[in-house]
Amino acid sequence: MTLGFTLPDRFGSQALGGCYAPETLLQPLLDLEAAFRSALDDPAYVAELKSELRHFVGRPTPLTPAPRLAAQLGLKALFLKREDLTHTGAHKINNALAQALLAKRMGKHEIIAETGAGQHGVATAAACARLGLSCTVYMGVTDMARQAPNVARMRLFGAKVEPVEAGQGTLKEAVNEALRAWAARCDRAHYILGSALGPHPFPTLVRTFQTVIGEEARAQILEQAGTLPEVVIACAGGGSNGLGLLVPFLGDSLRRVAVEAGGHGPELGEHAARLDGGRLGVLHGCKTLLLQDDHGHTAETASISAGLDYPALGPELAALILDGQVEVRRASDEEALTGARLLCEAEGILPALESSHALALLPSLAAEGAATVLLGLSGRGDKDLSTYQSRSGL
Amino acid sequence: MNPLLPFLMAGDPSLEALPGLLADAKALGLEAVELGLPHSDPIADGPVLQAAAHRAIQRGATPLRVLQSLAGLTDSPDVVLFTYLNPLLQLGVAELKRLLAPTPVRALLVVDLPFGEEAAFEADLRAAGYPMVPLLAPTTTLSRARQILMERPDPGEGTPFAQRFAYVVARLGVTGTGQGLDLQPVSERVTDLLPLTSRPLAVGFGLSNPRSLTAIRRLGATPVIGSALVQELAEGSGLRAALSPRLVDDL
Repeated sequence: MTLGFTLPDRFGSQALGGCYAPETLLQPLLDLEAAFRSALDDPAYVAELKSELRHFVGRPTPLTPAPRLAAQLGLKALFLKREDLTHTGAHKINNALAQALLAKRMGKHEIIAETGAGQHGVATAAACARLGLSCTVYMGVTDMARQAPNVARMRLFGAKVEPVEAGQGTLKEAVNEALRAWAARCDRAHYILGSALGPHPFPTLVRTFQTVIGEEARAQILEQAGTLPEVVIACAGGGSNGLGLLVPFLGDSLRRVAVEAGGHGPELGEHAARLDGGRLGVLHGCKTLLLQDDHGHTAETASISAGLDYPALGPELAALILDGQVEVRRASDEEALTGARLLCEAEGILPALESSHALALLPSLAAEGAATVLLGLSGRGDKDLSTYQSRSGL
Repeated sequence: MNPLLPFLMAGDPSLEALPGLLADAKALGLEAVELGLPHSDPIADGPVLQAAAHRAIQRGATPLRVLQSLAGLTDSPDVVLFTYLNPLLQLGVAELKRLLAPTPVRALLVVDLPFGEEAAFEADLRAAGYPMVPLLAPTTTLSRARQILMERPDPGEGTPFAQRFAYVVARLGVTGTGQGLDLQPVSERVTDLLPLTSRPLAVGFGLSNPRSLTAIRRLGATPVIGSALVQELAEGSGLRAALSPRLVDDL
């Protein structure tokens, strides 16, 4: 009656998640769950991961007070969790490195990954170079054009970047192609999925490896401010950054906010805001909130930020939102650009376009009466310089 | 034994051509055809079927229109609807049953629906006469194969091939001819699987030339021909011309 998994594979009152995978991938997914459980129980794996996170990734990342921006917005205090300061420049490395170590443990020396903004691809390529694994990254052609510096970085790390021409040439198509590649090579390759989505056990695996963000941030703000903030806020594409920051605060009495990409309009195809017009559906192996048309075909999406430009929200984050544990907001392309400028000018930090969606919400949070905010700065904006230049007339 | 299970993509070359293709398949004496419902994200399909699905969607072959175009067709083999789960979930089980009732669809092959993930949905459809085809992949261990074949039991002799067969995936990867198929591993696989079930076996992925089809038949299984056929039909071949040479054993 069951597939034989051990860990919970459904989330929330609507039982989101699951394992809607082709039969070819079932045994590899069962094997992955078993390897994940055994690794977490193995002090040697845990110690190696901890050591790599410290000496290679640069954890713990700082929690930086942003007093000038706070004053400008009318907040009493603003703290930034600096995932942009990790090696490779975004939170993605936390998961990529942990899964690469897991792959090595499983005896799989070939790595497959998908990437949208390129941050997960770069992180995976770096982890593979460090651990001596071969790496192939699938990336949509639209994303390759708008995130060109990351394509070069992946190639410098020795990864093969496979362009995906289908559809809109963005993250959804890259995941399609990575899943196909994994089905062809699952006997020797591990697929490092970059966000908290896909078939079980991926959402749980990715969330487990990303909650280090929120665990550190919670301890740091207690140490620095002596108290928890009123609001914790993060952007959400698939949900690895959102869950990573917000999950460790689930037991606390405060507002948890996830920000989706509002794109350039409210109609289907103009945004990637799954809470506005998304319905429950199945894509890429899990049941979740999905932007789709009346026929159950996945809808097109739009966002200035490649990392948020994805039609489905990871199932665990979707469940937390539907069950009232996390609030969801949206920020448009223009608002995100404004948010980025605010941080650049007030604090001297260049955020990724993804993180800028969370920054864009700060004026609204202040207007709603929030005094202290902890914001997840998921990545740095170097990869987005050409977009900032062309859109901000620099 | 059913000599061949052809796969057609609904809406490619056109929905209008579908009744004629099904009538031709029946005239060739085939018991069943697989009919693909074009999907936006066909994660188990190779380039040929991806392109065919894309063309079909562009021409308006929505799930609703495909099922409506099958309504009332009697000059047809039994149809196995090959599909991804989401379009079915969005129709909902009641509407799906209503749409299927006047069609020659006798079973569903839902690529991304392992047994148990939508238990009520599957049970409801099975009770209405639309069982799910069990899939056995190269990665499926024999103990898992036994479990799958127990969970989706053989409805037994007397029920049509479309409702009885189990689908053996011949190689890792997605649909398509690719580099062809090494017949040695799949022969061993079929030999291992046959004793596990009273179901007839169909074998697909990577088969196209008469020699490989013959080899599968000689194992006592039905070969599936998909991408190669879809490509030939898209290039203007007729179904009879494409299939006739493949129904004769190449010895």
